[in-house]
Amino acid sequence: MTGATGGFTGTARLLHLALRRDRVRIAVWAASIAGLVGVSAASVHGLYGTAQQKMEYVQVTRGNAAMIVQSGPGYGLDHPTTGAIFMNETAIWTIVLVAVFGILMTTRHTRLEEETARSELVRSAPVGRYAGATGGLLAVLVAQVTVAIVTVLTVVGFGYGPVGAIAFGTALVVAGSAFSAVTLVAAQVAASSRTASGLGLTVLGIAFAIRAYGDVAVPWLSWLSPIHWAQAVRAFAGEQWLVLILPIALTGVLLPAAASLAEHRDFGGGLLDPRPGRAEAAPTRYPLLRLAAGLLRGSIIGWGIGIAAGAFFLGVVADQVEQMAADNPAMSGILSVAGSGSITDTFLATALLIVGLLVAGFAISAALRMHTEEAAGRVDPLLATPVGRARWAGSHLAVTMGALVGLMAIGGLAAGLGAALVLNDPSRILGMLGGGITMAAGVAVLGGIAFLVCTAAPRLALLAWVPMMLAAFLSMFGRSLDLASWLMDLSPYQHVPALPAAQFDLVPVLLLTLTTGGLILVGLAVLPHRDVGRT
Amino acid sequence: MEPVISLRHMRKTFGTTVALDGLDLEVAPGEVHGYLGPNGAGKSVTIRILLGLLRRDSGEARLFGADPWPNAVELHRRLAYVPGDVSLWPNLSGGEAIDVLASLRGGIDRRRRNELVERFELDPRKKAATYSKGNRQKVALVAGLASEAELLILDEPTSGLDPLMESVFQECILEKKAEGRTVLLSSHILAEVEKLCDRLTIIRLGRAVEKGTLAELRHITSTSYVVETERPISGLDTIPGVRSIHCDGRSTSFEADAAAVGPAFNAVHAAGVRSLFGQPPTLEQLFLRHYEAELNGTKPGAAR
Repeated sequence: MTGATGGFTGTARLLHLALRRDRVRIAVWAASIAGLVGVSAASVHGLYGTAQQKMEYVQVTRGNAAMIVQSGPGYGLDHPTTGAIFMNETAIWTIVLVAVFGILMTTRHTRLEEETARSELVRSAPVGRYAGATGGLLAVLVAQVTVAIVTVLTVVGFGYGPVGAIAFGTALVVAGSAFSAVTLVAAQVAASSRTASGLGLTVLGIAFAIRAYGDVAVPWLSWLSPIHWAQAVRAFAGEQWLVLILPIALTGVLLPAAASLAEHRDFGGGLLDPRPGRAEAAPTRYPLLRLAAGLLRGSIIGWGIGIAAGAFFLGVVADQVEQMAADNPAMSGILSVAGSGSITDTFLATALLIVGLLVAGFAISAALRMHTEEAAGRVDPLLATPVGRARWAGSHLAVTMGALVGLMAIGGLAAGLGAALVLNDPSRILGMLGGGITMAAGVAVLGGIAFLVCTAAPRLALLAWVPMMLAAFLSMFGRSLDLASWLMDLSPYQHVPALPAAQFDLVPVLLLTLTTGGLILVGLAVLPHRDVGRT
Repeated sequence: MEPVISLRHMRKTFGTTVALDGLDLEVAPGEVHGYLGPNGAGKSVTIRILLGLLRRDSGEARLFGADPWPNAVELHRRLAYVPGDVSLWPNLSGGEAIDVLASLRGGIDRRRRNELVERFELDPRKKAATYSKGNRQKVALVAGLASEAELLILDEPTSGLDPLMESVFQECILEKKAEGRTVLLSSHILAEVEKLCDRLTIIRLGRAVEKGTLAELRHITSTSYVVETERPISGLDTIPGVRSIHCDGRSTSFEADAAAVGPAFNAVHAAGVRSLFGQPPTLEQLFLRHYEAELNGTKPGAAR
């Protein structure tokens, strides 16, 4: 099998296999993303029908740093149309979701296949060296196109113009593919799928931070971020199709780079080779705690760096907020309704909310490791020693919750440090640190739910993400969509005192903590009554 | 003496799949008990019920006289377990994994641990993610064998080991036996079971179909022979208990029940033996016997 195309022999069959394996996964993602976009499309339609309503929206969002961080530079808001407002509300989070989907799918079909030695079996067949990765990447592309088509149809279905909808859908696919390509490179560098996904998500996080800072303070900086490129297509705001060349070019550069990296590594290995470990474990009185800490260490460090960097960025933006409010008097009136503090305080409270959502992502993935360990059969030998189930689960939970509080503290501290620097106000550091730790009470509820799912119904482990998605949706869109208060109250974040914009209040924090404690106790109570171990 | 392991009418289902269907198993103190069965017969499910990881649907289970489901933690002080498909924490070295398991069991004899690491030629510094299947198996074996447990529960413990390490494993088990410890050895490698086990139980489709010493089991089935003779063998086909006779020039193959071996070899001898090759019944043949019995419409074991 020589010749120029030999490296790709079998690609079509492997693409077929990948799609066969992931048809449900792709359908669920497409439905979820389109559903999210659909809800947003419907409510924007209803809320901002009149010119008066549109102008009010623009007055609130224009120059509001907290809104700009969440939604982008606000293309088309000079002459606001429903489409432009809809894009401002929805585009960035959809782009991020499609990118996350691409990153996870790409590792799943490349590095994870190699790690589990499934691709060894495949590669022993007459299959080219690049066929596995190409087939996997094409499957991701098909998935992203599916997501985009469903999204476009949903948007058009709600009465928005097809040109803008198609521009939006195309931007999703093109930007999503750029992150798939980034992840493919990461999958050559890292020898484990977790590290590869972590690298991909880190790049995504950096891209988000760059554009957030750029949109608020230094517009040219945003052009370094693929997320911005997808927004700069200006769907529903005078489409600029040529911008799409940027992500396509990036993909075009990264794919051959990944191929050339693949040439320089062994099958199953990475460019970062694992170092030899200790011959004996260091003595400890708490081996289970140490085991859990070892499992989560890489994840904690990765999330810690990402959260510290992101939170610092958000803090540094804080001084722009006053300035913008001064340029836009309409905003100060409306924002003061939302919180009792100053505009800067409201912005910093939003920053802590974003950190809280990120830390929830960590907490849920960390709690779900319990299920991964169990399914992989690594818990059987532990439980075959005189270790009770509660001690095993409790140790994992303790490390997860400890890291959760630690990450919230780091996030608060970093945001406080950034704010203290630019506002020349050292008291911000302690204030934000306290705010971060307070926010941990809300995040812990989501961690507690994930723990309960893992102990009670491990087969449904992935459902642990649903409450977080719901909470994120309510936090991000709830207010602008004017949702009912009972619905808003479903999000634990809604009950956390919005420091530093609001006063600290012990009662809700205690209630949240009690809720978490209750979830954990139920989890520990049901765990002894089910079958455990390899599935 | 009270049995170390006693399972009666054990039943376990997963949805509509019946994993164990009225299984009986008894292991006496100080014996090495072979637990044989084809893939999917229910060996691992049995072991995981014994470990208190799975809850039985019905039947009686006793480990050291106590029910393993509510008393798992206490019972685990007295046993060590080696799984057949070892999954290790990828970011720990093999040595660390051994010590983690040992410390959960309350400590380890370091001299014995290090001795076993050497005997099994394990590099304890390598990260588990880089170990081959055989090396992962060695990690679990060292952790289990280094313990002072009264009972060893081994679930296909030698899968992936090379023949040299397999023989090290057999030495270790014989040492445990000499120390008077009890071993439940699940396996489908008959040679291993033959060398180590005092008694054995064979299960198929979640049910014990044979139990006894190996000699007893051998007795009820036939051995295969291939002989080369100077002249064609006459009269072989008239001996009761001789079956599957195939002649290929001077080479003849046949199967003979234990009782038919004497008369058969008289006939072979008369034809002038040049070479002789005998193969004891394999596990496969022991099982085929049960399949045949089932196909003939009789209950397994009834043909005895």
